[in-house]
Amino acid sequence: MVQTIHRDPALFYWILFPISIVMILTGVLRHYATILLQTTPKKLTLPALREQRQLLHGINLRTNYSAISSASFAARKNYLVSAYKNGDFLKDPDNRGKPAGNPMTDPAAMEGMMGMMKGNMAMMIPQTLIMGWINAFFAGFVIMKLPFPLTLRFKSMLQSGVATRDLDVRWVSSLSWYFLNLFGLQSVFIFILGNDNAASQMAQQMQQMNPSGAGGMFQPGQDPDKMFKSEAENLEVVEHEYILKGVEERVLGLV
Amino acid sequence: MSLSSSLRHSNSEALSLSQQSTQYLQKHTSTGTSTIPVPFISYPESTELWLMYEKLLLSCLRAGDDKAAHLCIEKLIDRFGATNERIMGLRGLYQEAVAKDDAALGRILKEYDEVLAEDPVNTPVAKRRIALLQSLSRTTDAIDALTELLESSPTDIEAWTELSDLYLSQSLFPQAIFCLEEVLLVAPSAWNIHARLGEVLYISVTSSNESADGKTLAEAMRRFCRSIELCDDYLRGYYGLKMTSDRLLSAFPDNSKAAGQILSTDNGELPMPSTATVRKLNEKATSKLAEMTRWTTARGYNYAEVVAAKELLDKSTQPKQR
Repeated sequence: MVQTIHRDPALFYWILFPISIVMILTGVLRHYATILLQTTPKKLTLPALREQRQLLHGINLRTNYSAISSASFAARKNYLVSAYKNGDFLKDPDNRGKPAGNPMTDPAAMEGMMGMMKGNMAMMIPQTLIMGWINAFFAGFVIMKLPFPLTLRFKSMLQSGVATRDLDVRWVSSLSWYFLNLFGLQSVFIFILGNDNAASQMAQQMQQMNPSGAGGMFQPGQDPDKMFKSEAENLEVVEHEYILKGVEERVLGLV
Repeated sequence: MSLSSSLRHSNSEALSLSQQSTQYLQKHTSTGTSTIPVPFISYPESTELWLMYEKLLLSCLRAGDDKAAHLCIEKLIDRFGATNERIMGLRGLYQEAVAKDDAALGRILKEYDEVLAEDPVNTPVAKRRIALLQSLSRTTDAIDALTELLESSPTDIEAWTELSDLYLSQSLFPQAIFCLEEVLLVAPSAWNIHARLGEVLYISVTSSNESADGKTLAEAMRRFCRSIELCDDYLRGYYGLKMTSDRLLSAFPDNSKAAGQILSTDNGELPMPSTATVRKLNEKATSKLAEMTRWTTARGYNYAEVVAAKELLDKSTQPKQR
């Protein structure tokens, strides 16, 4: 049995297309709004840079120790371990041993949070507005019929806002079309705006999962002194092995 | 790091690149300066475009085409502003290139000093300053500046390699070796650095007075072995392997007994390789070098290196023929 609903074809042109167009335009607008709101990442001061790089130095030594001879390794290890333990590389040696400050009072951390807030706002505000607009004007319309059959599970996805139990799953409601657009326009934005656009909300969410990145290895609230100490311990337990051991045999065995 | 990357092109490549510059600049005049990017009509500007400009600038400077270089740098300044760190470095490079005499270079140096006094984290300018010190042949100053730079960023491979070259130019071998080891800590499978370290070790042996420092020589040989292990048709690696094994064979004609004794050291040092192994390595290197010099041109090896390898081979075969 095929369900038929007699509906005005104008519904199609006056709901389906407006929603799609509005969604695309908001995406483009959001992209440029985010660019405008972006603050340039704050530059690290020399001591902070030094702190990070020296820690990285230790990590490099720990992971790639096999490239250098055991004497060279021991010399570097002794130097780094004692420097780490003394806290020679700390950004502010006076704060040593004190508990890490509240991230809310740290201006650098505040700035990061402000940036995140801005990103969130650029996403939330248009979303709320459009959602309200759709609810006010287009709620409860069935706007099109998909040309292929679907299982019952898709009902909640395709027919939100139309609470009828017997309606065939192939009918799509206006609110659902909005949601489909919201999540499915990524490739369109890539086509229009290029690869690294800020239009899609999926990409934004991905970014928020991993807010560090350019910000450096130190998350706010982490005590660099403790990180140095644990790195020193890691270095101390390294069992040295030299990559050049037996390399002649390996080379001769190569062919 | 990327500042020097395009300097590794050969001379002819740089020349041909710079000859395309006028065309390229004309083609891209419109896209670079458009104010508001309109989707569909103008392509979104890409990072590649600006990287292209940077490379173009470097090859123009190399080919001596200062006019085109000036256009490139202007474009970059238009886009990123004169206060961008990288642009400051590039602009400094351009100014150094067009500077007439040492006095002009001195003025540029003063400029760099001012910039660095204001912002000590400006790595591109710091590096330019070091390079300028070098070109003013104030090597010790350059070394001092480099060590200072490395104190705050000890993971900078470019700076470490540069420092090792500087130390080598001053014949301070242990220091040069230390620097190269630091590079290896960051990039443990860089075969060229392994070979370079072998070279430095070898040079340190040849220039020291005591003629036979077996340990260092063996270490140099092993470095070359490692570089061959990582890249099995690396000409320099085989060349070094041949040099070091030749020398080892001539210095220690038969050390099979001694090898057995040193084998039991347990302070982590590697034992001397047995003469048989060295001989085998030598044969391998010789045959491989001969093979490489035969079909070289097709495979794009450096011409000078190939000639050197041929010379080495000729030298080692001559005594046998007599």
